[in-house]
Amino acid sequence: MNEPTIFRFNAERRDIVDEVVSRVLAEAKDPLLLLNDAAYNEIKRLEAHPGDEREQLVTFRNLARSLGRMGDGERQTKLEQLARMYAWDVAGNFDPKVYRFASRVLPSLVGGLLSPLQTMAGGGPQAALREHLVTQGPVGDIARLAQIGTIVFVPTHLSNFDSVAFGYGIERENLPPATYGAGKNLFTNPLLSFFMHNLGAYRVDRRIRHTLYKNVLKAYSCVLIERGYHSLFFPGGTRSRSGGVEEKLKLGLAGTGIEAMIRTALRGRPQKVFFVPATLNYQLTLEARTLIEDWLAEQGRARYIIDDDESTQLERVLTLVRKLLLTEGSIVLRFGDPLDPFGNRVTSDGRSIDRRGRTVDPISYVRRDGRIVMDAARDAQYTRELGEAICEEFAKNTVLMSTHLVAGAAFEKLRQAHPKSDLFGLIRHKDEVFVPRQELSRAVGELRDRAAELEDRGLLVLGPGVRKRGATELLDEAVRAWSGYHSFPVLAAQGDGYVLADTKLLLYYQNRLVVTGLGFSAAKGSLATSSGGAAKAGQEVAS
Amino acid sequence: MSAMTVGILGGGRWGFALARAAQVAGNRAIVCTRRDTSDRPEGVEVTTDVSVLGARATLIILAVPSAVARPVATTLGDSTTGAHYVVHAVRGLSSEGLLPISTVVRQETPVKRVGALAGPVLAHDLLEDRPSVIAVASHYPEVIDSVKAAIASPSLRVSASDDLAGTEWASALVGALLVGVGFARELGVSEPLIAGLMVRALRESALMGIAAGGLEKTFYGLAGIGDLMAAMAQQDARPEVAFGQKIARGARASELAAEMGVRIEPIDLVPRVLSFARQRGIKAPVFETLATVIEGKGEVAEITAALMRS
Repeated sequence: MNEPTIFRFNAERRDIVDEVVSRVLAEAKDPLLLLNDAAYNEIKRLEAHPGDEREQLVTFRNLARSLGRMGDGERQTKLEQLARMYAWDVAGNFDPKVYRFASRVLPSLVGGLLSPLQTMAGGGPQAALREHLVTQGPVGDIARLAQIGTIVFVPTHLSNFDSVAFGYGIERENLPPATYGAGKNLFTNPLLSFFMHNLGAYRVDRRIRHTLYKNVLKAYSCVLIERGYHSLFFPGGTRSRSGGVEEKLKLGLAGTGIEAMIRTALRGRPQKVFFVPATLNYQLTLEARTLIEDWLAEQGRARYIIDDDESTQLERVLTLVRKLLLTEGSIVLRFGDPLDPFGNRVTSDGRSIDRRGRTVDPISYVRRDGRIVMDAARDAQYTRELGEAICEEFAKNTVLMSTHLVAGAAFEKLRQAHPKSDLFGLIRHKDEVFVPRQELSRAVGELRDRAAELEDRGLLVLGPGVRKRGATELLDEAVRAWSGYHSFPVLAAQGDGYVLADTKLLLYYQNRLVVTGLGFSAAKGSLATSSGGAAKAGQEVAS
Repeated sequence: MSAMTVGILGGGRWGFALARAAQVAGNRAIVCTRRDTSDRPEGVEVTTDVSVLGARATLIILAVPSAVARPVATTLGDSTTGAHYVVHAVRGLSSEGLLPISTVVRQETPVKRVGALAGPVLAHDLLEDRPSVIAVASHYPEVIDSVKAAIASPSLRVSASDDLAGTEWASALVGALLVGVGFARELGVSEPLIAGLMVRALRESALMGIAAGGLEKTFYGLAGIGDLMAAMAQQDARPEVAFGQKIARGARASELAAEMGVRIEPIDLVPRVLSFARQRGIKAPVFETLATVIEGKGEVAEITAALMRS
């Protein structure tokens, strides 16, 4: 295998920053507007939370005051200075030595730390992650495509653990490392920051909201794709609050895939770009509690940005990982079929094919009257359609585990006990409803069988072992996984059955079923009862 | 702007009417059809080979009945690339589900830049160059531009929208409502009451359209209310109205379709949209009634009484 492009990153970095800056300047039709917008937004943000950026506040205030008096040349210079500052701030670093160290030592380290028992039992230090993280999907094809063009990984996003699991997964499958935009807040932890910074992550400051900054980010992402740097975006934007699989995407930077393709084609050397959807599936989610609280708050329109959650508490992380390691295949990284920037399937030799299997030249989509042209409105629509195709892949590559099925069955019992309650009503009935063990186990079995039918039709995937195990076994496994990890029991054992104790977490874990049509959908206010009902209806009206 | 070549797939009156519109706009038109084309407008080129369309036109208009839209699109797919625009002029949703025809085109061809034509325009008006108005919907501004360049002229105003799903659903559901119009007229229901029922039915349609991803306002625009008003004003202009009248005289839907020799889209469509509405908790009493009417069940007096109550 050739050395991945990212190994050249440091040598190219200055060049990349220059290109980003010149591109942003070339596209700046109205420097005054961009500067005013930047100053206005930054002053507003910094006045509210100056933190240790008081100097910045002064700078932007001065800028706002003097903008009106500046001549065109001076404005252009200011714009260039700002763009360059942002570009350097965004630009990541890649240190092959750190990468090699990390990929060789970290898994052993993590594996060893987290599963001492396994190590002692002779499974070897790496055995833990190796066994517990299962990778599925067309890995060989993806590896071949990485030699032909730029790979853009687009996984679902559930937890801050995702980038670790994903990074480990692609490294283990010999897939090339990918650069990705990580929230600047993650760079505050010195250790994490050191690794992320040197493993090609670039910094995205979500607090900065003005157009100039967004233009820099887009240009940066585009330049990287053009130059063959494999990239990773979480197309959902942020972690799924509900616990469900993303059914609508923000896409944001994903649109740069088309732009990169067009720009390289116009230069006569078209770079192929392949989007690889993937789902990250966990039996337990690190930040489940905080996320579902946030989601419920959002349903009541009082959203706040999560600054501090379970993932910043090392102890919680370690508990989670220990728990995950109790069950084989408790993390599944599943790759879907690779797509071109227009949502067409791609063969392992990099050809785009339409739904009838005909080869189609992706460049033809950006031609008008025979000429290759850029068109922001058109490309935004193509990107929306790509988003739909990615969501289809997400849905059918959703891996259901015991916790999801048990939560689904238990939540349905809650609904049966309170048929007239709405979402918030249901949530309030915590610690109330008792379900005999046998009854719950039967419900789990029935749900699993319906899921198995959908799996046969290629509409979802059951987690390792879920198909074969008995319903009671699944129930016990889920209860065991939850207990001890979440602070309070999700299902509290009582006599010969369980009390539906933590209704919010039950909702959280059952939300994973929604995309498959098997779960209670708060958005639709009903359960898609007929097998695959929602999935089918979704296809029917999908445009 | 220099003249362009517009490809039209489907040689019914509708296909040739659109070909005529292209001519009036100063363009060339090629119609691909296997039918007899002896009464075609002068100067319209005809071919039986679909690949000619793909080779000579960037914009291709699909003007065939919805029942054959899929196989026709599949054939078209063999001679199109991502560089083509395909716009359909089909009033209906695909027969094997409730897929808009633009979705069928995207499934069967490599083409992504798709759109739909709809609205109160009538084939014979276009064929006789009478001033008309037509709606075009697409998510792609360049598709709309291309359609305007192809057929807009002083005698044809092209009105644009980016609500593709809404336009396709409105166009299909209006066809269904016309059955109700014919039925009610035959029974002597007064025109004001029919108007009242149609307003209600249009609201039901809009709710379904929203559930399918469309916008409400589209139903109160050219593709919805515009098309409905035109068809109601034009006695017997649309086969759906005539079909409704014959049903009211006691004919059976299945036999009628064969006898009339045209495809009556609502026969299949109404039961399917009704179950679509039920699944989503949308109340649609007028469509419920329509389904009963088409099935030939229920007494007329009962039907009317139920509608007045609900």
